[in-house]
Amino acid sequence: MQSQDIRKWFMKQQDKGAGNGNSSKQTKPSTPEKPPAVTPQSGKLVQGMQECSGRRKTSKYFAKDGKNAKDEMEVEESSPEKKGQRGSTELTKVKPPAGKKIHKLENDDEDFVIPTSGKGSVDTTPNKKLKSGSGKGVAQKLVDESDEDDGVKVQSKSKSAGRGRGCGAKGSSSNPTTAKGMDVDESDPEDMDDNDAKSVKSGGRGRGGRGAPAGGRGRGGGGRGGFMNFGERKDPPHKGQKEVPEGAPDCLDGLTFVISGTLDSLEREEAEDLIKRHGGRVTGSVSKKTNFLLCDEDIGGRKSAKAKELGTIFLTEDGLFDMIRASNKSKTSAQNSKKPVDKVAPSPPKKSPQKSEKTNAADIVSRTDVKGLTSGASSSKRKDQSTAQTWLPWTEKYRPKVPNDIVGNQSLVKQLHDWLVNWNEQFLNTGKKGKGKKQNDSGAKKAVLLSGTPGIGKTTSAKLVSQMLGFQTIEVNASDSRGKADAKIQKGISGSTSNSIKELVSNEALSLKMDRSQPPKTVLIMDEVDGMSAGDRGGVADLIASIKISKIPIICICNDRYSQKLKSLVNYCLLLSFRKPTKQQMAKRLSQIAKAEGLQVNEIALEELAERVNGDIRMALNQLQYMGLSMSVIKFDDVKQRLQSNSKDEDISPFTAVDKLFGFNGGKLRMDERIDLSMSDPDLVPLLIQENYINYRPSSAGKDDNGMKRMSLLARAAESIGDGDIINVQIRRYRQWQLSQIGCLASCIIPAALLHGQRETLEQGERNFNRFGGWLGKNSTMGKNYRLLEDLHVHLLASRESNLGRAPLRLDYLTLLLKRLTDPLRALPKDEAVERVVEFMDLYSISMEDFDTMIEMSKFKGHPSPLDGVQPVVKAALTRAYNKGSSSRVIRSADLITLPGIKKAPKKRVAAMLEPVEETLAEENAENEEEISSDTEDQEEELIDPDKKLQAELESLNSKGIQVQMELKGSGSTKKAASGRGKGSAATSDGKGGRGSGAASKRKR
Amino acid sequence: MLWVDKYRPKTLDKVLVHQEIAQNLKKLVTEQDCPHLLFYGPSGSGKKTLIMALLRQMFGPSADKVKVENKNWKVDAGTRTIDVELTTLSSTHHVELNPSDAGFQDRYVVQEIIKEMAKNRPIDTKGKKGFKVLVLNEVDKLSREAQHSLRRTMEKYSASCRLILCCNSSSKVTEAVRSRCLNMRINAPTEAEIVNVLEFIGKKEGLQLPSGFANRIAQQSNRSMRRAILSFETCRVQQYPFTINQAIPPMDWEEYVSEIASSIFKEQSPKRLFEVRGKLYELLINCIPPEIILKRLLYELLKKLDSELKHEISHWAAYYEHRLRLGQKAIFHLEAFVAKFMSIYKGFLIETFG
Repeated sequence: MQSQDIRKWFMKQQDKGAGNGNSSKQTKPSTPEKPPAVTPQSGKLVQGMQECSGRRKTSKYFAKDGKNAKDEMEVEESSPEKKGQRGSTELTKVKPPAGKKIHKLENDDEDFVIPTSGKGSVDTTPNKKLKSGSGKGVAQKLVDESDEDDGVKVQSKSKSAGRGRGCGAKGSSSNPTTAKGMDVDESDPEDMDDNDAKSVKSGGRGRGGRGAPAGGRGRGGGGRGGFMNFGERKDPPHKGQKEVPEGAPDCLDGLTFVISGTLDSLEREEAEDLIKRHGGRVTGSVSKKTNFLLCDEDIGGRKSAKAKELGTIFLTEDGLFDMIRASNKSKTSAQNSKKPVDKVAPSPPKKSPQKSEKTNAADIVSRTDVKGLTSGASSSKRKDQSTAQTWLPWTEKYRPKVPNDIVGNQSLVKQLHDWLVNWNEQFLNTGKKGKGKKQNDSGAKKAVLLSGTPGIGKTTSAKLVSQMLGFQTIEVNASDSRGKADAKIQKGISGSTSNSIKELVSNEALSLKMDRSQPPKTVLIMDEVDGMSAGDRGGVADLIASIKISKIPIICICNDRYSQKLKSLVNYCLLLSFRKPTKQQMAKRLSQIAKAEGLQVNEIALEELAERVNGDIRMALNQLQYMGLSMSVIKFDDVKQRLQSNSKDEDISPFTAVDKLFGFNGGKLRMDERIDLSMSDPDLVPLLIQENYINYRPSSAGKDDNGMKRMSLLARAAESIGDGDIINVQIRRYRQWQLSQIGCLASCIIPAALLHGQRETLEQGERNFNRFGGWLGKNSTMGKNYRLLEDLHVHLLASRESNLGRAPLRLDYLTLLLKRLTDPLRALPKDEAVERVVEFMDLYSISMEDFDTMIEMSKFKGHPSPLDGVQPVVKAALTRAYNKGSSSRVIRSADLITLPGIKKAPKKRVAAMLEPVEETLAEENAENEEEISSDTEDQEEELIDPDKKLQAELESLNSKGIQVQMELKGSGSTKKAASGRGKGSAATSDGKGGRGSGAASKRKR
Repeated sequence: MLWVDKYRPKTLDKVLVHQEIAQNLKKLVTEQDCPHLLFYGPSGSGKKTLIMALLRQMFGPSADKVKVENKNWKVDAGTRTIDVELTTLSSTHHVELNPSDAGFQDRYVVQEIIKEMAKNRPIDTKGKKGFKVLVLNEVDKLSREAQHSLRRTMEKYSASCRLILCCNSSSKVTEAVRSRCLNMRINAPTEAEIVNVLEFIGKKEGLQLPSGFANRIAQQSNRSMRRAILSFETCRVQQYPFTINQAIPPMDWEEYVSEIASSIFKEQSPKRLFEVRGKLYELLINCIPPEIILKRLLYELLKKLDSELKHEISHWAAYYEHRLRLGQKAIFHLEAFVAKFMSIYKGFLIETFG
């Protein structure tokens, strides 16, 4: 089959070149001879093909009786009339046989099914794309030729072809228009009777859809249709070009669709939406239940293969549209044709099994509600009840009353049930004798931990199961543990365990004493154990302890079983993880409830609802109840609209947010959306905006020859960003948080609104993505440099040669200082230079680090570094020389000595201690209320050789450091001898650094 | 030793430039109790020198014996304690600090340090001043709150503590603070005075000064004595003996700013704006205060600007400088100024030349 197809395809390709003339000639002769001749151009092969396909059709649909046969006939006849302006008798003669054949095919009476079956005949029979390719090929060629050739010839050809096709198509579709739609879309749609149109169209469209897009594509892409479309889904070729029809809301009710490949004009989501809106159901893969496979081009994927295997009907997008349209306009006229549909998919009937379930469920509900009533009466009764109890939230009202009511997780419920049943045997009976043993060896756990997302019935099932087994439940949840009401229990969870445990134990004791036949069993349900944090310290540990000694079963319930808090608890519990129920399960239950409440909701809408709430039945019920307040019939759209906002709560990264804000469609965003985007990270987004706003070519500037508009927009945006900064200061510094919205407006939304558009790169080799905000990095570098500068500043101040501010230091001094430091290195011979520089550094107590700081700080991009031209040897020599002398100047440059021997790292860091080297020292010291001892000590020290003394002092530097520290601390009254010493040391080193050391120390005393 | 420091007048008598002010100060201190003082004037005019000389006059040579510490205050601010760390320069008689370094927590510093000084009031006051002096630098950079808290403490502790405030612009000091102080306006030295000083230094150093050289330095110094002396010494380091036409090297950052200005003039495009942003970042990273950058940039821009735009551009520069101080992220405002300038200038060019 396939090979034939291929040959056919290639034949046609050849024909295309060669057969323009031929085919046109051939057409006429061929038509009389071969009734179903779809392809006039090609010779026997094609005919063979045709026959093949025809045969297949027949084989497929042979046995069915021709209900529509007569219709078909009429149609057949009318079609040539309409079409054939020339009205060739030949053709009409030709047609009947084809028609007949088709009638046989036709037998399958459904209007809706048929078009697709027709397609099926084309599509399905020869495998995969080849066939569709061939089909397309024909259409294309015809079109092409019609373009190329002129006049009657073309017409005749196309018509004949069309008719040929028409037969085939008609056979399937019972439609004269099919042919038209297929080959010559434009030729004469007007001819069609309006009456026909609707019923007809549905079929015709099926065909037409196939033809038209194929033609269009053929023109554009040269018939790639069949061959090359593996791989990922592309955008629909005619996206948004077609008008999406509105139909009766339930026209697709009960039909199941599978979407495959790229559709002609709809995105897949849109198509899904469309189908759902009209009551259809969309599933992911083809199964027996699938009614239609919706696809516009057969890419031969698994779905279509499966569909072929199962005989699923193929439907094009246009076919779908027609179905929908048809339902809308001619509900009554299309009754006949609709009947079959009803048969196939009557929404209520289809759910017959469900229905029975429903009634069962209803029974259950009613039974539980009103015990002792018969089910028959219960329904009416229930109505009353429901009206009477409307004040109850549905979540309470329809809380499952028997385990079977629980939606999903039946196996878990069963497990829980078993566990609870066996609990007594396992733990209690042995409790008297060898409780410990049993606990250890058996895998059974004394407690159970139910976990799962909110609203899926954990608590409910726990309660239900225990109730069913006749347990008395004691429920403790997060609110209780802090409340006063349940004081005993509360202590059980948190704080002192003894009380509650005793209680629990005593309960058991009581029960043991009592009659065995009906023990008043209790079960403790610990709800929301993962919420046990803030108020109840050690709660979990306590719970574990309780579990260990407990004589009653404990059911723990949590949301997140992997929570850090529960790590220890998990070991003691049987873990049961509840899963989200499927949407079908939920929809089932929801529809029961809706029914009970007299709400009209179709299945699809409920499924949508179930999907939107993400498995949370409680939320679904709440939503349903809310919607039920305002309307009695809930449609798919209502659900969608109502829950639209829900789907949006997702995390957006700052980058995506900025992309969206600046994106081409940034201007179309709603204000709240923009605020949401910029609030997604109110710190980072403005920085990203600021970093990148220059890169955008504003679309609002329009044609902007000289960039003037853009520049002024940039200026406005920059100002607005500045506004944002100012507001941010207000927010942070003065805690004016109410300004945060206006802040994000100024810093993000306004710049983005001004400049959104295309991003362009400004630098060579830059990737065209938003950069990360540079400010953070630059700011931290700046902070670092300021710290270094401050160090340098302190050193200079400590030298006491200068009393300058920090800003002048950077602005004025730095250049000269650097010159003094580096010029000698460059110009003078090494040794001399080093000596000079070190001397200068000592004078101003500039450390080597400061030297580097200065060089670092006066580096500018594109400017020579101040260190250029300095030989590395010289630099190394300088470092060496400086380090050699460093022993003598430790104190001076060690501004930030940490002082050992003090427990707490001293907050006060000693910068430098400097005392004048003048005679007045003693006086000053006296003034400072220093004790005389310091002086005496100093005096004693004076006796020692100055150099030695210096050494000693340096050695005991640490201790002195401490003393210095103390001096600083005792800012007032508690000056000690030590302080004098500290000063002394400072002074000495000072002397050494600056002048002759010996003289200095001497002078000092 | 740098000449700036070497030839800094140590006493009020030796002052070369603001001799009259110096004499008045001397009288003020010797004859009667000293009021709070506010020194203001452009940088390089000699405020600091006068203050140091004044302190020496008040307390004698011991005022020179200073120590540098990193002080740390724990301040109770309602619910939390704030750690503030500052470098102070103190002698037994005075404490000098730069409260604006503490950022917006400066008011705690001001309150705390004054209280501390009041607590540690010298007991023995015979023949000595019964107070300590607190020298606050850069008062104009103090936040409004700090200035408000300053004015109360100034009165409350005036018995034990005198304040000497020092700033560039008195307009940024609140009225309340200004009225509590004796305001001393220190003018920038005239060029003649600068030349005078330079020649004095030259003589002391035994240098041959070509005629007009000192004048050129004075002109370029923008009437800042410090700048003049520093660049004088720079010239000396660079080349000696001096030649008449010797170039006076500009400050590195000023050079960079003028490069930015000329690149702005060359092209006004987003691309250029982006490059300028990079350069501005570079300046900021190198610890050039943003206000200075803006001012210098304006200066460079005005040099080449057509006169009809000068007024408008100056207006915008002032506007953005104001916002710069209100805000926190300097680059935003600098960039906004550049963008504004580009857009105005571009419009102007198109209008004039089509």
